[in-house]
Amino acid sequence: MIEIKDLKKVYNGLTVVNVPYLQINKGESIGLVGNNGAGKTTLFRMILDLIRADKGEVLSNGINVAGGETWKNYTAAYLDEGFLIDYLTPEEYFYFIGGLHNQNKAQVDEKLASLSEFFNGEIIKKSKYIRDLSKGNQCKVGVGTCLLQQPELLMLDEPFANIDPSTQFRLKNILKDQNKNHGVTTIVSSHDLNHVTDVCDRILLMEKGVVIKDMATSSSTLTELEEYFGVGQSIASYTVNPEENH
Amino acid sequence: MISTFFDHELKAFWRSKNTGKSIAVKVVMGVLILILFLYVLLFGVLLDEILGAMFPEENLTIAFCGIILVYFLSDLLMRMQLQELPTLKVQPYLHLPVKRNSVVGYLALTALLSFFNLWPIIILGPFIIKVILPASGAGVTVAFIISIIALALFNNYLALYIKRKANLNGWIFLIAGGILALITCGDYLWHIYSLKAISYLFFGNLILKPYLVLLPIVLAVAIYYVNFYYLKGNLYLEELSSKKEDAKSSTEIPFLGRFGQVGDLVANEVKLILRNKRPRSALIMGLLFMFYGLIFYTNPKMGEGFKVFVGMFMTGIFIINYGQFMFSWQAGHFDGILVSKVKFTDFLKAKYLLFNIVSTVAFILTTPYVYFGWRTVMIHFVMYLWNLGINTTIVLYFANRNYKRIDLSKGASFNWEGVGASQLLLSFPLILFPYLVYLPFKYLGYTDAGLAVLAVIGVAFIITRDFWIKKLDQDFQTKRFKIAEGFRNK
Repeated sequence: MIEIKDLKKVYNGLTVVNVPYLQINKGESIGLVGNNGAGKTTLFRMILDLIRADKGEVLSNGINVAGGETWKNYTAAYLDEGFLIDYLTPEEYFYFIGGLHNQNKAQVDEKLASLSEFFNGEIIKKSKYIRDLSKGNQCKVGVGTCLLQQPELLMLDEPFANIDPSTQFRLKNILKDQNKNHGVTTIVSSHDLNHVTDVCDRILLMEKGVVIKDMATSSSTLTELEEYFGVGQSIASYTVNPEENH
Repeated sequence: MISTFFDHELKAFWRSKNTGKSIAVKVVMGVLILILFLYVLLFGVLLDEILGAMFPEENLTIAFCGIILVYFLSDLLMRMQLQELPTLKVQPYLHLPVKRNSVVGYLALTALLSFFNLWPIIILGPFIIKVILPASGAGVTVAFIISIIALALFNNYLALYIKRKANLNGWIFLIAGGILALITCGDYLWHIYSLKAISYLFFGNLILKPYLVLLPIVLAVAIYYVNFYYLKGNLYLEELSSKKEDAKSSTEIPFLGRFGQVGDLVANEVKLILRNKRPRSALIMGLLFMFYGLIFYTNPKMGEGFKVFVGMFMTGIFIINYGQFMFSWQAGHFDGILVSKVKFTDFLKAKYLLFNIVSTVAFILTTPYVYFGWRTVMIHFVMYLWNLGINTTIVLYFANRNYKRIDLSKGASFNWEGVGASQLLLSFPLILFPYLVYLPFKYLGYTDAGLAVLAVIGVAFIITRDFWIKKLDQDFQTKRFKIAEGFRNK
């Protein structure tokens, strides 16, 4: 699905992304983790051809994304509020995006109806512009738009950050469903290790622009990640001392 | 505490992105502001001559005293329309252990940092020094100047008070506007009283009894405290901000449906214009420009060359006024556009279609100028074709070179955000090109041929539009990363 070759981006002499080779296969669910400044969003933007790579290329279905248009037909992404047209109402925005994919209003309405649980009654017919919604609800609009497009590749940047716990559960189920039942390739970044290990089959750990770990999710993945992120904090101190446990 | 606030204020000004990064832009802006300032100053210095010409049979001082109140009435109206509330800046301090009095005092003080408070002194001050000082002495002069300043402050705080009240209840604004209109009508339409006489009643007496200066001072202090205590009692974000919460509805523009995807893009842009303050005022400014012709055409000294110029502005003001900031208007969601299934050629076609529609409406609105002869309408039509052919393409060419973000939620007046070198460069071809074509013919005595050539060039560009769209698209592809990056820079 996605093939990254020798990709490099440098800002003011600082390498923010440096990926010699990375292949993401069709139907995989990828979790991208890493501390702030690890280069996750930059990598996302380069896959979406929003930033010019200093070196290397990103191939989507074998075609270079740079300057191409075909990848847009099967790729849906939501990175931040900059993707939303904020002076439209959510409905107007959905119809607009649906229209780009040749869906008429009835078809869009049908899709939206299937998302009503995810929206939790806070998006549709609220008589508000997108800019007046809370960040969490804007995120729902963004994710909803992605699903509306019935993509083959779905990319979300920290989708769990602003949404409430119920929506987090629903979003996790949606991502699993899209991946398992519809064969959608998903790439999701998150700071919540529980979420990514739950949703994703393969975890990419980034540090200073480099993918330093690439692992299939297993029962030990979460502990492994916690060890990496809990730098200097010994997890052992939390174990109960048997001496005191009379 | 207040000094800390001012320190932050200065930092906010110098560090804000829209102050402009390049020194060249700053210098040009400075020069423009200086020129505007000098013009107003010149007007002030020559006010005695102007009044003498306007009211030849009246005594200068009487005429001057008569217009002061009229001036301040229009000043109040202008402030209500244009002056910005200095508000949201206090948001970061509200939850901190800062005394409410200092926050409110700071708000009240920063309200003085408005250009509007400078104008009365520049316009009325020189006259006072030139005419009243020699005739009535220093005491009266000081009384006059203090009165002017006090009235300016009174207007300043009254306008802000009305605006703040209007934020909570939109009717207040209408009522205030209605009262102002009634006051004006009472004089000019119904002749119940004369504002000039009332104005003279006070300022004429001020010359004889300078202690009357206390009256405006009391007024100014009173309205300051009304404003102060109102703010103190209502120091909540939703009441400070100028956002109004009313139900928003989805709208459709059926006419655009027939243009397919391009039509959808235009519909979105129409919503962008109508739902955001700054583009909306660009449109309203455009409507006001429809009266531009009245200034020039009523003056017989202005020849036909001016009609070319005026016609271009009237039919193409939207292309110029709105188009000069393209694609910055969409900076907030430019990433979304790039990732979405919108072809950039369609995006460009939508811009052309939008320009077509608005310019056509503008041309239709200018048809009443047929009063000045059919030839005037003909020239307008030629310039309409020129606008659609050349100016649209020029504007879009410069749009590819515009990397500045615009925050749609901010107002238009004195907002330099998004203004850069590309806007300044853009104005040269827009103004010069039609004359480069027209003037040689005119001086050879073939004005009709000049107009015909303008029309032919316009039509030629309209016919070959697909070619230009292709060129613009190729040009954009080489610059889009830079544009997208610039737009991401908040």
